[in-house]
Amino acid sequence: MKNNYIIYLENIETIYEGEKLPVIQNINLKIKSGEFIAIIGPNGAGKTTLLETINGLLPYTSGKGFVYGKEVIKNKLDIRKETGYLIQNFEIDPQTPFLCKDIVMSGRSGKIGIFKLTTKKDWEKVWYSMGLVGMIDFANRPVGKLSGGEFQKILLARVLAQQPRILLLDEPFSNLDFTSKIQIETLLNRIHEKHNITVVIVSHDLSFVPSSCDRIIVMEKGHIIMDDAKENILSSEKIDNIFQNGVLK
Amino acid sequence: MISLPWFIILPSIIGAILAGFACSTMGAFVVRMNLASIGVAMSHAAFAGAAFGVMMGFDPTITAIIFSFGTALVIGPLAEKARLQSNIIIGFIFSIMIALAFIFLNYAPGEAAKGSALNILWGNILYIDFNDSLLLLFLSFFVMIFIFVFYKELISLLFNRKLAEASGINTKIFYFSILFLTGFAVALSLKLVGGLLVFALIINPTSTAYQFFYDYKKILIFSPLIGIISCLIGFYLSLMVDFPIGASIVIVTTIFFAIAIYVSPKRYKGN
Repeated sequence: MKNNYIIYLENIETIYEGEKLPVIQNINLKIKSGEFIAIIGPNGAGKTTLLETINGLLPYTSGKGFVYGKEVIKNKLDIRKETGYLIQNFEIDPQTPFLCKDIVMSGRSGKIGIFKLTTKKDWEKVWYSMGLVGMIDFANRPVGKLSGGEFQKILLARVLAQQPRILLLDEPFSNLDFTSKIQIETLLNRIHEKHNITVVIVSHDLSFVPSSCDRIIVMEKGHIIMDDAKENILSSEKIDNIFQNGVLK
Repeated sequence: MISLPWFIILPSIIGAILAGFACSTMGAFVVRMNLASIGVAMSHAAFAGAAFGVMMGFDPTITAIIFSFGTALVIGPLAEKARLQSNIIIGFIFSIMIALAFIFLNYAPGEAAKGSALNILWGNILYIDFNDSLLLLFLSFFVMIFIFVFYKELISLLFNRKLAEASGINTKIFYFSILFLTGFAVALSLKLVGGLLVFALIINPTSTAYQFFYDYKKILIFSPLIGIISCLIGFYLSLMVDFPIGASIVIVTTIFFAIAIYVSPKRYKGN
């Protein structure tokens, strides 16, 4: 059964170290390869925790979790090599001494493998993903000198350079102006259609659920309270209690 | 100026160059990864270890390495999960290690032992012998290989540990490798720079290089270069005006840092 799904979570519960109460609980989630899913919900709903439970950054405390048919707890490094993760609200010091190209290449570090040096082919992937997000001219710029939106694009290029099978994107539209939001949305739609990557995005903004997204999961207080096709969720009354004009109340 | 024959000075000069290289290279990791407090604790543990060696009549370098590693083994995992904050590490470990060092030195038998204990406290230009230089050479070589082979993992880790983990790197191995290599560099440089000041040789050259570059590759090149130059100038100063060598080196690194802060292109608007 679990092998039919790229992500398979059964009764998952995650508790932070040193805490007693679970941040997410009774999570049952089955995602097929190639799906484009949006997870929405208010702050503290457990959306980020769910993403980090999927890629094993946070260990679940009960239940069963499988990604690519492999048990997450035992195979987290292998799973992460194939899974791109965009972190939410990543803040950076303007003096940070790293160039954009090196940050994008760092996304491939795990995938290339230990004891292996970067090759010309790896750099080609870096230039390609920087080109995809329209940041190729920024390759030799210090990363700390970028605007919030530019930096977000570099982080996106970083996960794309990894050539992941699953993309986990935590608030990919935060820090972006309207034009950049449209650009990133178009880009995500294109990547999903062209490469058939499984995409899971977390968002608090219903108005920016990409058009390729076919399923929406609504979370509240650590539980999945709705999981349905995009159209059904958007037309449901329950969603109006959480969102007003597409934005969290 | 103190005049000494070359066969006595040469191991010290080589030792100074290698200590400058090893400490300042590890500094490039320690500074970026905010490991300064653990490093200070480790360097003082190495000092306490060396004092213990003097008291017991063992090789102080060996006991310094054991104490330094022991501290890394205890504090490393605690600090890694942010369960122990840096001010607590400094406040607690620093004072207990210095207290232990003074107790060990107090019980050091005979005047000769007390003399070598003082050398460990503030360093001695002539205390480094051929074996110490050889050990530093091995360490420097190993550090270079480590950086060359794991460059992509290290850059990823230095930028952000969580992102590095998210892309499938086992960051724990690199975190502890960096701690242990730093412990080695500190313990082997103790005789030259002294237990109280050795950590300045780790922090100051990297902090100086930080003022000029936005590319970490350049910081990894210039930090050891500044460390080596500082050690050589400090060495010369020590011979010229009979300063303790550790103090001379630290003064030189501090002057470099002050100049770097003043002329740093990063401080100007638009940079």
